[in-house]
Amino acid sequence: MITEEKKKELLERLRNAVIQYDEDTSKEASQEVLDVGMDANDAIFNGLVSGMEEVGRLFEAQEYFVPELLMCADALYAGLDILKPHVTQLDLGVRGSVVIGTVEGDVHDIGKNIVKMMFDVAGFTVYDLGRDVPLDKFVEEQLRTDSDLVCLSAMMTTTMTGMKKVIDDLRTKNPNVKIMIGGAPVSADIAEKWGADGYAKDANNALKDAINMISSLKKLKEEAEAKKK
Amino acid sequence: MNGTLKKELLGSGAAVVGVALLRGALGKEIAHLETAISIGVDRKLNEDTISLLVSLQKKAAQYLKRKGYRYLCIPPDSDRIKNTFVSKLYPLFTHKMAATSAGLGWIGKNGLLISPDFGPRLSLATILTNAPLQAGTPIEFSLCGDCGMCMEFCPSDAITGEEWSRREPYSELIQMDRCASHKKKSKALHGKPNCGLCITICPYGRKPYKNDPENSFVQTE
Repeated sequence: MITEEKKKELLERLRNAVIQYDEDTSKEASQEVLDVGMDANDAIFNGLVSGMEEVGRLFEAQEYFVPELLMCADALYAGLDILKPHVTQLDLGVRGSVVIGTVEGDVHDIGKNIVKMMFDVAGFTVYDLGRDVPLDKFVEEQLRTDSDLVCLSAMMTTTMTGMKKVIDDLRTKNPNVKIMIGGAPVSADIAEKWGADGYAKDANNALKDAINMISSLKKLKEEAEAKKK
Repeated sequence: MNGTLKKELLGSGAAVVGVALLRGALGKEIAHLETAISIGVDRKLNEDTISLLVSLQKKAAQYLKRKGYRYLCIPPDSDRIKNTFVSKLYPLFTHKMAATSAGLGWIGKNGLLISPDFGPRLSLATILTNAPLQAGTPIEFSLCGDCGMCMEFCPSDAITGEEWSRREPYSELIQMDRCASHKKKSKALHGKPNCGLCITICPYGRKPYKNDPENSFVQTE
């Protein structure tokens, strides 16, 4: 059986690997987690994600910029790729799937990818349509996958109007679906006017929102575990 | 600090190392990383070349990290992993731009970086950083002169013969569609898209023939 100290050391190494954008260490430590038989969920949430939370803080404090943020994300994914097949599915009560993409005419997808990563980590099934996605495709994909959530992203004022059309179409076909929109030109007012359920201003805010979401998931998980005991 | 890093890289297998200052020439996301370290290794274009280049880049990155500087590695063109987050930033910058700005060479008629010592036979990688390194003097004009060997030998007539200068960065040196269609044909013919004649033929840095070192230049007549 693995000792508490070893566990703590591995969690710390995972956390630091993400913060220090060190892909190699992230891979090594993740492999070691599996080798010593540690719980993969524990390693993801208390190691990798805990590191990403700190990265979010550093980004907000403007100690980290976009390049660091992306390198950290890659380090997180390097570990996640190894750990994910060994995750036992959590019953969080909010398990869901999400359709995500950048709307037609727009090829800026950094923000979308960060949000996608957060959904990935949180255990959502993510249907990523990519960038420059034809507007009909969102509705089609939502109906095909019966997803709970649709996330639309646009970085330009010229493309953002496409989001309104998608929202209208989605609402007529499926009134229950939740819709989040994001991107630089989007504001809370626009989100409300167009009938979206949520909005994220930019990658920074999307990250913050997504981290909040994961934090609350983490809490749910802890509560669920406490109940079990 | 320049000296140590440069020595370390050259000692580990780099053919050339240069530093360029790129103030004001970078996209918004990476504008704070205004110094570029350009690393070139002798181009053999096999697995080893790429892994050497990547390991040199890692070495430089670790050095910068130890000193507390920021950096962003732009990996060699043939080793860019497309689906990473960082890969979104690669198109914001090109290796050749870093190399010419660092004074390592110019862009030849064949559209490749020509170094006085190695000709077009270099594979490049770039690291952007905010470390205050002593930058080299940028090269502004092509030193190809009247030589047009790459143009004469190109099997697809893709080389226009225009000369590069930093003042006119958008003049068309290569007709890319012709070059690509030739590679496609050659792939259909013998399974490999290889051509590279414009590299082999360039007199800059060409090694003497094994059997006939005296007559190392091809006679075009």
